[in-house]
Amino acid sequence: MKILSQVILLVSLGLGPAVTTPSFALSLEDLNEELKQAGEKLKQKTRQGQEAIDRARGKLSTEEEIEVGGNLISGLLGAAPLVDDAGLQQYVNDVGYWVAAQSRRSDLPWSFGVIDSEGVNAFAAPGGYVVITLGLYNLLENEAQLAGVLAHEIAHVVRKHHLKALQKTMKREFWADLGVKAASHEHHAEELKKLINSGVQLYASGLDRKYEYDADLRAVVLAARAGYDPYALLDVLTTIDSINPEASELTVFMNTHPPTAQRLDQLGRKMDGRLDDYASGRHNTARFRRVGGDP
Amino acid sequence: MLMKHFILLAVLSVLLIAPLQANQQGIVVRTAAVHASPSHGAQRVGEITAGTTVSIFSRQGGWKEVFSEEHSIIGWVRSYQVREGNAAPVVETTNESDSRGFLAGLASFSRKASSFFKSDSSATSSGTATIGVRGLSEEEIKTARADFAEFEKMIKFASNSKRAGSFARQGGLSSTRVPHISGKKQ
Repeated sequence: MKILSQVILLVSLGLGPAVTTPSFALSLEDLNEELKQAGEKLKQKTRQGQEAIDRARGKLSTEEEIEVGGNLISGLLGAAPLVDDAGLQQYVNDVGYWVAAQSRRSDLPWSFGVIDSEGVNAFAAPGGYVVITLGLYNLLENEAQLAGVLAHEIAHVVRKHHLKALQKTMKREFWADLGVKAASHEHHAEELKKLINSGVQLYASGLDRKYEYDADLRAVVLAARAGYDPYALLDVLTTIDSINPEASELTVFMNTHPPTAQRLDQLGRKMDGRLDDYASGRHNTARFRRVGGDP
Repeated sequence: MLMKHFILLAVLSVLLIAPLQANQQGIVVRTAAVHASPSHGAQRVGEITAGTTVSIFSRQGGWKEVFSEEHSIIGWVRSYQVREGNAAPVVETTNESDSRGFLAGLASFSRKASSFFKSDSSATSSGTATIGVRGLSEEEIKTARADFAEFEKMIKFASNSKRAGSFARQGGLSSTRVPHISGKKQ
């Protein structure tokens, strides 16, 4: 009896694998397939969930961001049109595009413009739109300073500062409503319109001051990456700081930015010694002077 | 002792050379520490108070080499602490604005009309702030009607990676890896 059981055990051990392996392999393949499908489903659910969370938090898709930004910048262009100088506009676009290419959102449809206003200011809109006033442009001395100013605005876009500000001003229900997939096209357009109206107010009231300091710090790094002297932005701020604060050209700028002297102190202190390696970057003064000047 | 002599000699030689070399004037806009060389770790040799007129000899990175007659000192200060140009830059810069072309000319014209720079002689007189600025006052921003035709015009000027790349090469620019500054003191 003992021998028999041993034989059975041996036989079963010997045959066991031969019999069970194919069925086991088959189920493993199935299992793999099922796992894969489950993984895909999970990923999809996670993505949908993330989208819903993003909506609730007030995040737009890139397409929506571009749409809202385009409307906002059109509003600014309604207040002050582009300067009628194609060479100047192309030049500013080349400098801006090159700086934006150094950011992590280089794939946005970056577009820049010089607008016909004596006011000293620059504005950005979500999606990659940036304008600088003629009043500010004329204070600049070289291409590196232009790059510094544009880099500050580019940083606002890359860091989605305007959208973050809108997220705070618009109610949670608004974002939930905007995210309803079944909403009609008209309804969706209506919601975006509300967002654009609030965005316009931002240009008059300004962003949270902490975003301005953040954009300054990001800007000098972007300028250095692009091969420009990062200190050029500090030169621009120094020039602005030397303007009579009572000058009407500066009213909106003063109302929407932290005191220039404080920006200089903060930026100078934070940069101290860290970007010295790049301070020999280009200024391209000659090229800057050739633009928008002699015919 | 030897160092003191050296500094004295340097200051003296600068005093002699200054009228020939120092064509670039500037104003120290915030009280600046003066360093022996253009590096933040370099020895501090003194201080120039805000409002002092200086001669600018050279520029290196984020630094300017300046001489202050008032403080009898020569050395390097942070570039942003010194504004280039003389006390009333707009009034006497007709030549400079010519070299910048008509845009700068227009700007300096409008600035002459108001007390634009703090250092302008009429800067203390009030009354200019009430004059509106063409375009983009707070009210205009809020009430302007969107101009989509102008927007279409703007996006037509947009550059692309090919164009911007060749623009950069022509300008001697190449991209470099630079990490973000955390903002926290290390």
